[in-house]
Amino acid sequence: MVNLLDQSSLFLQQLVNGITLGGVYALIAVGYTMVYGVIQLINFAHGEIYMLGAFLAYTMVTVLGIPFFAAFILTILVCACFGIILDFVAYRPLRKAPRLAALITAIGMSIFLQNLALMIWGSQIKSYPRDMFPAIFLKPALSIGEVSMTWMQVFMLSITVLFMVILHLIIHKTKIGTAMRAVSQDKTTSALMGIGVNRVISFTFAIGSAMGGMAGVLVGLYYNAIFPTMGYIAGIKAFAAAVLGGIGSVPGAMLGGGVLGIAEVMGAGYISSEYRDGISYAVMIAVILFKPSGLIGRQIGEKV
Amino acid sequence: MRWQLYKKDPRFVFLSLIFLAVLLPWLPLGASTNYVLRIMTTAVLYMILALGLNIVPGFTGLLDLGYVGFYGIGAYTSGLLSIHYDLSLWVILPLAALNGALWGTLLGAPTLRLTGDYFAIVTFGFSELVVLVLRNELWLTRGPMGLPGISPPSIFGHPLTSDWEFFYLILLLLMIVLLVVTRLQDSRLGRAWFAIREDEIAAQCCGINLIRYKVTAFAISASIGAMGGAFYAKWFKFIHPDMFKFWESILILCLIVFGGMGSIAGTMLGALILIPLSEVLRAVLPQGMFNARYLIYGLVLVLMMRWRPEGLVPFERAQAKKAKLAQERLEI
Repeated sequence: MVNLLDQSSLFLQQLVNGITLGGVYALIAVGYTMVYGVIQLINFAHGEIYMLGAFLAYTMVTVLGIPFFAAFILTILVCACFGIILDFVAYRPLRKAPRLAALITAIGMSIFLQNLALMIWGSQIKSYPRDMFPAIFLKPALSIGEVSMTWMQVFMLSITVLFMVILHLIIHKTKIGTAMRAVSQDKTTSALMGIGVNRVISFTFAIGSAMGGMAGVLVGLYYNAIFPTMGYIAGIKAFAAAVLGGIGSVPGAMLGGGVLGIAEVMGAGYISSEYRDGISYAVMIAVILFKPSGLIGRQIGEKV
Repeated sequence: MRWQLYKKDPRFVFLSLIFLAVLLPWLPLGASTNYVLRIMTTAVLYMILALGLNIVPGFTGLLDLGYVGFYGIGAYTSGLLSIHYDLSLWVILPLAALNGALWGTLLGAPTLRLTGDYFAIVTFGFSELVVLVLRNELWLTRGPMGLPGISPPSIFGHPLTSDWEFFYLILLLLMIVLLVVTRLQDSRLGRAWFAIREDEIAAQCCGINLIRYKVTAFAISASIGAMGGAFYAKWFKFIHPDMFKFWESILILCLIVFGGMGSIAGTMLGALILIPLSEVLRAVLPQGMFNARYLIYGLVLVLMMRWRPEGLVPFERAQAKKAKLAQERLEI
């Protein structure tokens, strides 16, 4: 194949694939970054919500026979509820506990959910039935020379961009968005100003989990493979994207996702495909070490 | 009454436990003796690993998710040294510990400047990278084919083969690690760690060099983990990159959270309860569902943090205990 394609079109093709993948990372990363912004907790279980999203859509389509687009929307709603429940059950009781306790709970929830999925759906790799979505998805939408982009990629990218815009509007133009920004700055003061802090945190979890579940379905479609441990790797990569962009910043998560997706695809294509996952970890470690505030995050000073 | 004896002198419990352990291979267990011995060897190995991990989250208050990376480094150091150079276990153990400490320092020195959350995630990334390197650098580790044919350790020219010999060997190692860890806990170093755990800023104001003490904690923890790995390779005689995946870190973390973070007795008790329990689950759960035991470990982490964050045997400083007793006497 490499011989057939000339180098520049191979590069462009990789770029297209990388941007698509990066969009999905960005969708997951938003969940990490919003939760971190509001309660300063790395929600390790977020990757599991992404995995549950993929499996819920699969079950709805294959077992219950719901049409794909309806299942897609239902999954998003169920995942949002799931995020709220997760916060309510696991994290809310520990709001005043040391951060180590909340972090360990997050790890515990992640392991628990992952193995629950393993027990329910088994460890075999499952794939969405081919006839569940319009056949046009697999056909190229645009092709310039050797470079092509399928309708699936167009669908994924447009969904990602659409929801990022919606999210931006929610955060900056609505009352609840203002409340979220207030809570992320100072919980006590916002409570004194009449903001229901717990309600705002629940809302944050709901939005983040909805995006995560959506990303799960999209990736399930794109790679056509879902399995219980998919959330653990994708979760870490998305976290890397969030850190890369600057944790707590939503535009940062988008930028970080894009950069990481491209870096991963390029690295796998040009450096070594065995170390595909390693590239994300290495990027993450390097960013944390040399620029912990991320590309466009604000400097976080330690409060005394 | 026995319990009162413990209150007076905790060494009594330790001595009786050691006595029981030494007796274990000779108890009339019939055909299952070797099975029980292998399980107990695993439990003691995990005690050592848990004691090593405990130094970082327990003593210093930082979440280390990459501990298994050092365990793997130790195991591969041991395996490769004994295959290529045929070194004795008594040379390999210190070398593996040194290698672990080296990597611990290399990773710790830059990353321990970060806040706790970032440190946790970087250590996680490190352990994943270790597995990737073990899996892909075929020239060194044979990758997914694993490393078979590691020679058994020998003492005075006598190669260890039977289960009770390995059991005594790991018991000896446990004693050494236990001695080191308890002495560390009550030393100046230990006090500095506790100060960092309780309040970093206050500790810094008291003149504690945060980075230096954190890196020391991390390096010592890593070297104990690597030593455990070195024994494991010599005992199991076969190692594979998949043995050192992230789940092992979670399991060891679970042991210390269950037993009591920061408490040496608790950490050991956690391993003593949960490791044989997992073997029971292996026998009870149907084939293929064995990995679902992590469901229980995850649940243990969540429930312990919610209802009993101090663990089964809460951590208590010797000094603080004395002070409390004195206080009680005064009040009477």
